Amino acid sequence: MVTQYSMKRGWTEFLEANKKAILERWLDCALALFPEKMGYSTPIGTVFSGALEKILSSLGKRENDCKEALDDVTRILAVQNFPPSKALSIFLEPKLILRDIMMKTKVADTLMQDAFNSRLDALTLEAFDSYMRHREKIYQLKVEEGSRRMYMALRRAEA
Amino acid sequence: MSKYAPKLSELKKEFDEKPSVLKGDYSAQEWWDRPVEFRDGNWCFPGKQEVLADLGFANPRKWAATDEDWQLPADWQKTISEGLQSRLKKYRSLKLFLDACVRCGACADKCHFFLGTGDPKNMPVLRAELLRSVYRNDFPLVEKILKGFSGSRKLTKAVIKEWHMYFHQCTECRRCSVFCPFGIDTAEITMLVRELLNLIGVNNNWILAPVSNCNRTGNHLGIEPHTFVQNIMSLAEDIEDHTGVNVDPTFNRKGAEVLFITPSGDVFGDPGVYTMMGYLLLFKHIGLDYTISTYASEGGNFGMFTSNDMMKKLNAKMYHEAKRLGVKWLLGGECGHMWRVVHQYMNTMNGPADFLEVPVSPITGTRFSNASATKMVHIAEFTADLIHHKKLKLDPKRNDHLRTTFHDSCNVARGMGMFEEPRSILRSVCNSFHEMAEDTIREKTFCCGSGSGLNAEEYMDIRMRGGFPRANAVKQVKDRHKVNSLVTICAIDRASLPPLMNYWNPGVSVYGLHELVGNALVMQGEKKRTTDLRENTMAGFEDGGDDDE
Repeated sequence: MVTQYSMKRGWTEFLEANKKAILERWLDCALALFPEKMGYSTPIGTVFSGALEKILSSLGKRENDCKEALDDVTRILAVQNFPPSKALSIFLEPKLILRDIMMKTKVADTLMQDAFNSRLDALTLEAFDSYMRHREKIYQLKVEEGSRRMYMALRRAEA
Repeated sequence: MSKYAPKLSELKKEFDEKPSVLKGDYSAQEWWDRPVEFRDGNWCFPGKQEVLADLGFANPRKWAATDEDWQLPADWQKTISEGLQSRLKKYRSLKLFLDACVRCGACADKCHFFLGTGDPKNMPVLRAELLRSVYRNDFPLVEKILKGFSGSRKLTKAVIKEWHMYFHQCTECRRCSVFCPFGIDTAEITMLVRELLNLIGVNNNWILAPVSNCNRTGNHLGIEPHTFVQNIMSLAEDIEDHTGVNVDPTFNRKGAEVLFITPSGDVFGDPGVYTMMGYLLLFKHIGLDYTISTYASEGGNFGMFTSNDMMKKLNAKMYHEAKRLGVKWLLGGECGHMWRVVHQYMNTMNGPADFLEVPVSPITGTRFSNASATKMVHIAEFTADLIHHKKLKLDPKRNDHLRTTFHDSCNVARGMGMFEEPRSILRSVCNSFHEMAEDTIREKTFCCGSGSGLNAEEYMDIRMRGGFPRANAVKQVKDRHKVNSLVTICAIDRASLPPLMNYWNPGVSVYGLHELVGNALVMQGEKKRTTDLRENTMAGFEDGGDDDE
């Protein structure tokens, strides 16, 4: 059976209808980034599942309100042992997931797919900014830690 | 159960499809065949040549973990093998820990480094197996005959690299031991492997430089006596500025009743110095006859992360100084591993300290018989006893600008079983205290991720990974209860939790417990207080209006 979605609200409806399926696969991909797949109930698993759901929900909306969720994900990724290219690849993953689901449910709406893909591209770039902010934060922490350790020495030097 | 929990059929499908060491997809390889990769951010700088020379440690040279050739001494295999054999004879516990493990996996997902990295070699069982596999190759004869079944391997340079990486991704916090049905102490395995690595010059400057400084000058940073005094006097001046009270500490005073020893981080670092101000106010408040030593000027003991002999030597210094000054007993400040050393090792290393008296609080008369062997009392026990006997005049409203949670420091919680005393103090000195989740506090507390000498700046990435489970638990109380202050009783925590919070939970500040005590203490002859010890405005005291005094 071919599912019909209205042109105007198609995207939101489609996402809503398939949210669970997309999210499950997306979360699996994200957790599989780690040397051994990270468990669902681990702290990382819990943060990822909450944040990815928020991000996915925001994709269907006009206003982008997933900044905090995006930060939660990239904050974890930015200190892991894998390179940025691998870390940020998880934001491209939903494209493939979406394509599969569309094929399965026989929805052929290139306009909607294009819109979704370009939204994901924008999201990936936002994730890149956020990832870099966290990398810079790491260097800032190193500097601050040095000053804190030398607090009394610096205080005397400045006196 | 989480709505995201996978179904059995999905798990089976995933297990069938995904390669895994569990089902032999690496069948041509053993688990140890996957080489370790050192890159910037995942290794600590090695011990400097002059530091090793000062300590008389093996193999001083210029090297880096990223080098292909680590310039090990020619007979390094013999040194490690003989070193392991002699330690197996000396420490029955080590032999027991190596033989007793049945690989049940109860520890596997309890390690904060495993939870933060997903790296299987960070499962405590597998970390111990890094040593056990070598032990089995050299040891029991039957196992040697059954080689191939026993999971044994030869000691190679690759093994040394693997040891260096993974025994420096263990903070000796012992959370895994809590869940081990045999009580295997993986921290002691880490301690022993680091001791073996030091025999061939595979080491960490962030551990050895403090050890060398402590060995020579008396404290981690190598602060000399006059500077040590200047620092504390400068804090005393600050106290007088804020409160109008002269706390008047004494140094190296013979015949004082109590020698007070705290981690030197409380004398030089931010935010440790505010905790020091809290101690000084407390001692003034109760009129304690105490002195501070400029020689035993360090409570911390990085010897514990180096070798048994070094731990013993640095611990002995505190007792030598107590003897020289002729004090009755020792009072120890807020520190973590110092208390594991004192509580679990001191008595058989350097004790019993018969020349001292069993500590008795001069204010309440409480006899601390729990410290009858070591003669050293933890300041949280001491203060909790004072509060219990209503000997302190406290105004918890002065901490109303802080909404607190408490981080149990691994070594105080698991190493000496102290859970209630700090909580009892905290409830008396502030009005807002919210516990983190049950499985992340008390004996199940998560480490800060930087303990056991891993607090190096160059190691920041790994520290943030290892500290994530702790930070995540703080985030929950931050979101739920608007917690803005993480209170702790460990100097390494005070140094390492600020960056951890700044990264994962911006807006949460780190406090020592006695800093809050210092804020709340109503001192005799004090002036109107409007700010706390950090000169932050206290809620409700902005105009100095609401102060009862």
